Amino acid sequence: MNVPDFDFICSFIRQEAAIVLERGKEYLVESRLQTLARKESIASIDVLIQQVRTAPKGPLARKVVDAMTTNETSFFRDIHPFETLKKTILPELIAKRGTDKQFNIWCGAASTGQEIYSMLMLINEHLPELLTWNFKFVATDLCQDVLAKSKLGRYNQLEVNRGLPAAMLVKYFTRTGSDWEVREDLRRRVDFKEMNLVKDWLPLPQLDIVMLRNVLIYFDVESKKAILAKIRRLLRPGGYLFLGGAETTFNVDDAFERVMFDKTTCYRVKKG
Amino acid sequence: MIDIKKLIEQANELSPLPASTVRLARLVSSPESDLNDVAELIEFDQGLTVKLLRAANSSANASATRISNVKEAVGRLGTAQVMALAMAASTRPFLQSRIHNYGPGEPNLWRHSVAAAVAAEVAPHFCRVPVPPETLTTALLHDIGKLVMSRFLNPEILNFIKSAQEVDHLGEREAESLLLSVDHAELGGLIAQHWELPERVVQGITHHHNPEKSEDVICAFTYMANQIAKRIEAGLDGRRLNLLIPDDILEQVGLTKSSLDNYCPIAASRFEQLRKRYDAV
Repeated sequence: MNVPDFDFICSFIRQEAAIVLERGKEYLVESRLQTLARKESIASIDVLIQQVRTAPKGPLARKVVDAMTTNETSFFRDIHPFETLKKTILPELIAKRGTDKQFNIWCGAASTGQEIYSMLMLINEHLPELLTWNFKFVATDLCQDVLAKSKLGRYNQLEVNRGLPAAMLVKYFTRTGSDWEVREDLRRRVDFKEMNLVKDWLPLPQLDIVMLRNVLIYFDVESKKAILAKIRRLLRPGGYLFLGGAETTFNVDDAFERVMFDKTTCYRVKKG
Repeated sequence: MIDIKKLIEQANELSPLPASTVRLARLVSSPESDLNDVAELIEFDQGLTVKLLRAANSSANASATRISNVKEAVGRLGTAQVMALAMAASTRPFLQSRIHNYGPGEPNLWRHSVAAAVAAEVAPHFCRVPVPPETLTTALLHDIGKLVMSRFLNPEILNFIKSAQEVDHLGEREAESLLLSVDHAELGGLIAQHWELPERVVQGITHHHNPEKSEDVICAFTYMANQIAKRIEAGLDGRRLNLLIPDDILEQVGLTKSSLDNYCPIAASRFEQLRKRYDAV
């Protein structure tokens, strides 16, 4: 891949998705675009990039953005946040919200859906009374392909092997050929929407839990600031924000305070 | 970049293991079974009985008393070694297949697998934490995923993986995961599932590069066995390899840095004796 093409892709991806790609990442860009070029029956990466230059708002350009996003996820990823939600945070919030019985959870980069379904299974398993409340699960992602997969809730054996306890697999999934499909009643509970975190946001409800793990790490500081400011305005008092292990609000948005529970770090808007 | 669906299909198309091997693996994994149960099962398998008696009387286990029955052989070798030998006999055709696409050195999967099994076999002499009996098997099979993965790799993909390792200092597993959305370890776990091996064996194989992802200590032991096997192999090829086992793994398996220094040369010399046993199965 030549330098002008690489620079163009970096700048295009930064503009469209605020993802920062630096020199040295040529291998990543090449590997992802080569896969896309083959899928779209385009002769080479050079031709593909030329088409994106010509139509930067076209469907192919959109697919390039999708291809460059990292969609790594798994059920109950890193496990500790889910333990903390189960043992501490959800019981605490249930006690606080008992009067209006409203509860809203948002996964801001839902990828292929494992995180939101993990939350649903956890609540169904341990705090089922919450599901009788006025409850909203919202899952958003900028990538159309992964969103479609989330909605379908169908996973292959490798995907269910990643973090999903066997008992939950049997209880919440049905076998479909060689794949596993999330039970329909669970799938129906989630509102999946397409949304780019660095563009205009869709209307979201006031939130009790925000899951935005391993997302900010890809963004520049200005985008991080803008995203955290929007979340701050959406979080209800006492609500929690979960970030990835390598991410923090520190020195980005100091209106948040860090809250530690055993091995879990999460964030809350400071009082006053 | 690769077709995951086809990859899973190929893993599930590998020939099944002999029923007696699977039963033996489950028996060794079951806390309710004992030496008698294991011996009883083996006695029904003529081929395995012969291999076991040969191993028990081999120079690597030299003793004044000659062993002539299965129960004594199981007693001398221990259930973990018996299971590993049975597993080696059943999986040898797979582990000895030529793996052309995995970079230099990798065609010799059998040697690496046996070296890891030997490292696991020696572990109880150095580790203060009890070694799970399935560890020899997970060590032996830890790279089985490469067998299927290699069919999907080509020079172009290998170059990308190499770049990811060099540019971003990623390990082999992380690079595969980033570029292919799957790595050889979890593919190995899938094969172990397909072979209906005990869950603990599946876990040990799946997490042999990232033991922190599992609470089962077998993953840390398998990680260690893999690292020591690399050191043994480097020695055989006249290379030096610094062994870097993180402190938390050493702590998990109950090994100090000084005992690790003693462990490696003994594992290497034991490899020469024990590889004959594995080669003979």
